[in-house]
Amino acid sequence: MRRSGTNSPALMMGILQGMLVIGLLAWPNLLIAGQSPPDAAFVGSATCLDCHDEIGETFQNTVHGLAYSADDSRGAVSCESCHGPGSAHVEEADPELIANPANADQFTDSPLCLGCHNTPEFDDWSFSHHQSADLNCSSCHTIHATPEEAMQNRPPELCYTCHADVRAASFMPSHHPVREGKLSCLDCHGVHGGEARLVQDNTGRDMCLSCHAEQEGPFVYEHAPVMEDCSICHTPHGSVTDNLLVQSEPALCLNCHAMHFHATVSGYEETTEANGRTVVSTADGWKKGMLTKCTQCHSEVHGSDLPSQALSTSGNALTR
Amino acid sequence: MRHLTINAVCVLFTFIIITVAAGAQDSEPVQNYSVWVGSHYTSLSDYAKKIGEYNLGNDEFLPEFKGIYQYRDADKLIMVNGHYFDHKNIDGTVTGIFGDRVRGEVYYRSMIRQEGQDLLENMAAREKTAAGGAGGKILTHEIQDFGADYNTHRYEAGADVNILLSRKNNIRMMVAHRSIFKKGEEQKVASNHCFSCHLTSRTMDVDRQTHQFQIGIQADISDFTVGYQFGFRYFDSKAEDVTMYYDNAQHPVSGANEEEFASRLNFEDTTLAYGTYPETEKMSHKLRFKGDIGKGRFSSSIGYSKAKNKGTELEADAWTGAANYTMPLSKRTRLIAKVAGTRLTADDPFIDLAEYREGRDGTNTDAAITNFDFVRYSSLDRADARVSAEVISRVSPRATLSVLAGYNHIDRYDYPTIDEHYKTNKFYGQAKLRYRKGLRYSNMIKYRFEKTSDPFRSFRGLFEQAGRNVLEPDVTPGGTFGGYLFSYYLREDLRYQNITTQPTDAHIFEFSSTYRPTMKTNIMFGIKGQYDKNGDLDSLDVKHLSLRPHATVTLNPNPKWSVLTGYTFGYYKSRGPITVALFDG
Repeated sequence: MRRSGTNSPALMMGILQGMLVIGLLAWPNLLIAGQSPPDAAFVGSATCLDCHDEIGETFQNTVHGLAYSADDSRGAVSCESCHGPGSAHVEEADPELIANPANADQFTDSPLCLGCHNTPEFDDWSFSHHQSADLNCSSCHTIHATPEEAMQNRPPELCYTCHADVRAASFMPSHHPVREGKLSCLDCHGVHGGEARLVQDNTGRDMCLSCHAEQEGPFVYEHAPVMEDCSICHTPHGSVTDNLLVQSEPALCLNCHAMHFHATVSGYEETTEANGRTVVSTADGWKKGMLTKCTQCHSEVHGSDLPSQALSTSGNALTR
Repeated sequence: MRHLTINAVCVLFTFIIITVAAGAQDSEPVQNYSVWVGSHYTSLSDYAKKIGEYNLGNDEFLPEFKGIYQYRDADKLIMVNGHYFDHKNIDGTVTGIFGDRVRGEVYYRSMIRQEGQDLLENMAAREKTAAGGAGGKILTHEIQDFGADYNTHRYEAGADVNILLSRKNNIRMMVAHRSIFKKGEEQKVASNHCFSCHLTSRTMDVDRQTHQFQIGIQADISDFTVGYQFGFRYFDSKAEDVTMYYDNAQHPVSGANEEEFASRLNFEDTTLAYGTYPETEKMSHKLRFKGDIGKGRFSSSIGYSKAKNKGTELEADAWTGAANYTMPLSKRTRLIAKVAGTRLTADDPFIDLAEYREGRDGTNTDAAITNFDFVRYSSLDRADARVSAEVISRVSPRATLSVLAGYNHIDRYDYPTIDEHYKTNKFYGQAKLRYRKGLRYSNMIKYRFEKTSDPFRSFRGLFEQAGRNVLEPDVTPGGTFGGYLFSYYLREDLRYQNITTQPTDAHIFEFSSTYRPTMKTNIMFGIKGQYDKNGDLDSLDVKHLSLRPHATVTLNPNPKWSVLTGYTFGYYKSRGPITVALFDG
């Protein structure tokens, strides 16, 4: 058997290296818009509200407004807590002379919001796919809005704005009940870069097991792909087959296992009484095997502690 | 065609909205109430249990209620949301924010899942012989609760609280809890291997519980944040076991040869439980560190978890570690490096099975086959390592280029039977270019490839333990097996081929373009695609292709309204081997 190894992606690496070199050579001089000059001073929220009165009307009812009002030492400078000292901006009325966190990108020195939002949920924001995609907090959160409006939209619709293929998958016959409002994207995805809630380790399976704990085991009789990766057999967002399988049975199972029994021998075309049982069969009877779900017999496909009946399978047929 | 009218979940809502707001003065508490009273009607026909998987499925108008209550004053905010869809679909959330000290949420949600009933109609057949007469094998089925309405009611309650214990050193405590209950009935099919292949469908009560608890504490120490987190998960099934009488072994047609057929079974003529779920628990400890080093920022964790099957005392341990580091290479370029590793170890029980033909005669004796006992090495056992590095650069004011390279290694050091150390190595690379013109236009193109050696392949799985040494087909006319059948255990080596349909080469590409004519309108279109193949197979052809073009329009006239419409077309093509059909006993 040939082994593909990892030593032959030279072409791909060449392309990647070429793109990197071109990118580095094309270096322009950038101006990151919206920063307070070093010599700017704090002016206080009242000064800000002279112009931005529409924000002031609602800000006190926002989550941020509540948090700051509870702390007098910070309440006095609440606008500038996020936007930085505003004296230069006030004097020149130039939006470029004050920081605007909504314009922060992944090259900004330190994500401003994480100064307060520093719980483990946000530990990995700097390493997240969302930040790498140039999203910032304002991409999803409306900072000045009241609590019920704090998300520009809500999951899953908010997420579907970019992840259209996931939305489409949710309309497939088999899907997690996200569309029905019984699950949220956030139940599985750590959208801020960290783990989803209540996941215990990063072994890969644990996210699924946190809800489907009955498949945790460890079992006496295992099914190897269950131990490896749930996504070998299941696709999480939606599928045309039952139980979110990536393919219908028996085709899925036949990717690894040899077909046996049903599909191999043609049936007997008679109604037969045998040992008191009635069997209606046709010449193609056994070919129904191709319509058979393997899990009709091998029902404990995720693992079992109970031996199956046939000795020749060493009890490992996962039928009990 | 009636069975093709897969139609439809039509939901009709009629809402009466009552909103009351009180307390308009800035310094006074503000309270808002909103109540929705309405009704919905759901029409389900034909494959109702499939299409309406999460629907009660009543063909009638059902009342529906929704309510929101909000209280806020100078230093606290309390929100209550409730939704009654039907008696098995109820959601509720209470959220409280008390200054910056405490933030918490308590929630409840419930749903129904329709399981449907498999009538096992394909499970009625009888084999014919080469001569055309009735053959030896017979397959029957029995539905004991025909027409049963199988469904499960899943309800869940949870809490998530974050408390700032001290502003000095930013000491925080996080507590989370979740309990999941699943009750109802489901179909459980058990199979009798002899004297017939006989499937019996019964109703099994479902009463499963999962309880999870997590507590953590973290503090800032100097320039670093240090945290500890403990997690615990418990699962048990409270339902009574379902049992079945397993027939005595006989020839499927003649009823004779009991000894011969009994010698092929672990048990016969006995009543046993099946479809059980063991009581399990899992606990975990995790230490976290994050902070700044030089110009860079890092976050890391070290964890240990232990899962235990309390029924069999089997245990699985996992040590995990991860470290991420990002640093600016220049003002417009940054590096993201990630390293993670896992070491999983599971118990390897000794399986003591019945002796083959012990004390029993048979016409097809073979002295070489006497013992099927074995040690079950776990396919969970492994060490894996993941390393990646990504450089992201703002190559022009409007363009960002990222280049990613990574390597995954899995050593399944106890993987049964294939290799003593069965290793998978994956190398991947990715380039992504994003072009943005203000907030109006944004385009992204991405290409990724993955090269994998020895991707996952299932070890024997369901197949028989090695029996005979005879690996050549017995095709002698008039031979032991009638000249037209293969030796019973011949499949051994034929089946354990060193193949997998998991891909060795994957090419993934993506393009998307976003246009915002106004800040309240978002138009996006693009395509995602993947082509992969297994290049390790000499003669078998394994290829997969998927193409998913999509277009989406989103309108956000104000923060309370969002209208999203889109169309996605999915094209999936899979080419792979159907494994060779072999005779079975």
